[in-house]
Amino acid sequence: MFLLREPPDNGSYMLAAYTIVAVVLVAYSLTLMVRARNEEQREQ
Amino acid sequence: MTSPLSPSASSSFPPSLTSSDPRAAARRALRTGRVLTSIGLLGVFAAYVRAIAFTAVEGTQGPAQKIMYVHVPSAWCAFLAFGIVGICSGLYLWLGDRRLDTFSEASAEVGVVLTALVLMTGPIWGKPIWGTWWQWEPRLTSTLFLFFLFVGYLTLRRAMFDPAERARYSAVVGILGAMLVPFIHLSVYMFRTIHPRPVVLNPEGPTMPGSFVATLLFSLAAFTLLYLGLVTTRYGLGRLRELREARHVSAA
Repeated sequence: MFLLREPPDNGSYMLAAYTIVAVVLVAYSLTLMVRARNEEQREQ
Repeated sequence: MTSPLSPSASSSFPPSLTSSDPRAAARRALRTGRVLTSIGLLGVFAAYVRAIAFTAVEGTQGPAQKIMYVHVPSAWCAFLAFGIVGICSGLYLWLGDRRLDTFSEASAEVGVVLTALVLMTGPIWGKPIWGTWWQWEPRLTSTLFLFFLFVGYLTLRRAMFDPAERARYSAVVGILGAMLVPFIHLSVYMFRTIHPRPVVLNPEGPTMPGSFVATLLFSLAAFTLLYLGLVTTRYGLGRLRELREARHVSAA
């Protein structure tokens, strides 16, 4: 006989981690691209 | 070739470049970096969809286990970034090519961002599973030291004005910092620690179901692509800035 158990309800931790990673990666990527564009414009 | 250790190195900055037009090469790096970064971000988004919607929830840990699909790739790419800092720094001390120093700086900056992600996602995963946000145990503590060390590396670079001197000292710190990476990887074998051992890169093979491993490998690929995009963009940016500063120095 198998004892089935519901997994713990901790999805909010997963959502928090995924949100932080997405925000940091997108923000850093955009920052780099803006810095690069500014540097290119300064060159010209 | 001018040795970076010779007194004349600072006066000969920048050293002769093999590319016919260094500015065109830097702009090409920027373009390549933008494309790779965009593809990498799309890849990470696809990894999110796969992890959240198409990968089963682990029975014991629950949805929090899915933090692994962003935590492990961030750690892998951070260690890759710092390993590349060490290799490029060593090559800079040997060859004296300024581009190696610029690439080291780019990789260190991206590595610091990724390590910050590791240090944020780790405790969020640890709280529901271990019952605590943080433990002063070897794996976590040494990763925190690695983060501080490379923040120091970037601070050192901004505090020194002579380019050759900055590159030389930074290379030494970069090599020493990179030497921490294998120590951190092996810390779970060397010490008693609550941090789990590697689930894919272990001698007995992966200790997870195949679908979990596939999602993790997909996410690893996406994060690696994003790392390559970010580091290429940051390298192109660093090169353009250096070339502009060198023009101002020669014009003055």
